[in-house]
Amino acid sequence: MSAARIEEATLRRIVMVASPLAVLLAWQVLSAARVFPPEVLVSPQAVLAAFGQLTASGELARHLGESLQRLLWGFSIGSGAGLLFGLAAALSPTFARLFDPLFQALRQVPVLAFIPLLILLFGIDEVFKIVIIAKAAFFPTALSTLDGVRGVPRAWFEVARIYRTPLPSLVWRVLIPATVPSVLSGVRLSLTRAWLVLVAAELIVADSGIGQMMEMGRQMFRLDVVMVGVVVCGVIGFALDRGFVLLQARLLRWRAQPAGAEA
Amino acid sequence: MNIDSRAAVRTPEQPALRSGALQLKEVRKRFLFDQRELTVLTGLNLDVRPGEFLSIVGPSGCGKSTLLRLIASLDDDYEGHIALDGRRVAGTSLERGLVFQDHRLFPWMTLEQNVAFALIRRDMSAAARDRLVREHIALVGLSGFEQAYPHQLSGGMSQRAAIARALVNEPKVLLLDEPFGALDALTRVHLQTELQRIWMSQGSTMIMITHDVDEALYLGDRVAVMQAHPGRIAHIVDVDLPHPRDRAAPLLHRLKDDILAELTATDAPRGEAVVPLTRRRPG
Repeated sequence: MSAARIEEATLRRIVMVASPLAVLLAWQVLSAARVFPPEVLVSPQAVLAAFGQLTASGELARHLGESLQRLLWGFSIGSGAGLLFGLAAALSPTFARLFDPLFQALRQVPVLAFIPLLILLFGIDEVFKIVIIAKAAFFPTALSTLDGVRGVPRAWFEVARIYRTPLPSLVWRVLIPATVPSVLSGVRLSLTRAWLVLVAAELIVADSGIGQMMEMGRQMFRLDVVMVGVVVCGVIGFALDRGFVLLQARLLRWRAQPAGAEA
Repeated sequence: MNIDSRAAVRTPEQPALRSGALQLKEVRKRFLFDQRELTVLTGLNLDVRPGEFLSIVGPSGCGKSTLLRLIASLDDDYEGHIALDGRRVAGTSLERGLVFQDHRLFPWMTLEQNVAFALIRRDMSAAARDRLVREHIALVGLSGFEQAYPHQLSGGMSQRAAIARALVNEPKVLLLDEPFGALDALTRVHLQTELQRIWMSQGSTMIMITHDVDEALYLGDRVAVMQAHPGRIAHIVDVDLPHPRDRAAPLLHRLKDDILAELTATDAPRGEAVVPLTRRRPG
């Protein structure tokens, strides 16, 4: 019984790493067969060596630190503003009417399309990157908050009325818990978007960060460095998302399906 | 007289409450629907005696649920007079509890927290609160499940929990809006027996809406039969049997035939409504 369960868990873990391993294998085979010039499709070993160098020199840590700091700022500002906007739009019909067209239109413009304008406005400093990350993080959270608050069933407010619940308790004990699940799924999307846009923005203009490291690698034809960046981006993005899912599952213990079940 | 027969069965230490008298006078409720006025309830007069169990049966759309919402003051927009112990009702009150058809427990609270939520307006020590909550969880037979979340409870258990939440304030009147309508037949029979026991031990006046004539007769001291279009009380049947009752009592069966005949004769062509009324299982 318990042995079977252990086997099942092991099996699941094997299945989970199967696809990355397959890609690694294909990569190894292709580079060994010299299908592409080795300078273009660098071998996994070369990438590992570059990773060792970049780690030893502290360069990778520095770039990553810069990127994560930008992420933290941009994501916090963007999803925080999204939360406030979503709340205001859900609670005030006037506010919603006032900003809905602008909101819907801006939502449809890709973040990267703002880059030229933002560079002219803010230069290529930190502000520019933080604004662009914040913009990416804003919309998913704003939308899910709006839907979440609007979607609170009237039935629950009736229960609160029956027991003559005072307003602060209504907000803290009914309204907020009822909206948390949908807000969190929006925040999760915001985090992913913020990370993607951050790396993209750094690829275009930056003097530090994981994206800039990759861009410098490209310019100096160090594809091993570029590949280190690709792998690190994937791993960090994955880790951020998993971390968030765990947090979600912890906050939403009361749900039948833990939030991480579908992830 | 029914009250007296029940009082005799009640355990001696249980004082028969002499409050919880609900009076409805010429209550009328109209909705504006598509620019047209729709009369949902009209000329509704009802005297519910203190401590009584009153069942209300009627076809769909006869305004049964609307009536409960008016008594609970979830809806304040009506004509006429509704008073509890002589005082006109205004706004929701802890004196008037309500159990909905769907249990409406908050999924993010444990059973214990859900029941305690009802005491949010009550000024009492934490210890007194805990004791009340524990007692009422025990009353509905859910001791041991205090820390369970609603998704871990079955439909029947959730409805018990909802009853505990509604009773924890010891309301003078407990309103039950088809409380067992969404449950399977076996669970429903079981909960009917439980509700009878709870009512006998409590002293609250209870008014229960149901589609189920058997349920109405099994529990009710009286059964108000409603008609639709517009909603009104056609008449009130006395169920002159002491509690706890035997489902097989011949009187219950005779009254059931009468009520079904009445509901089907005036509301729909014979042969059509007989089946829905006995078999209708909403949800």
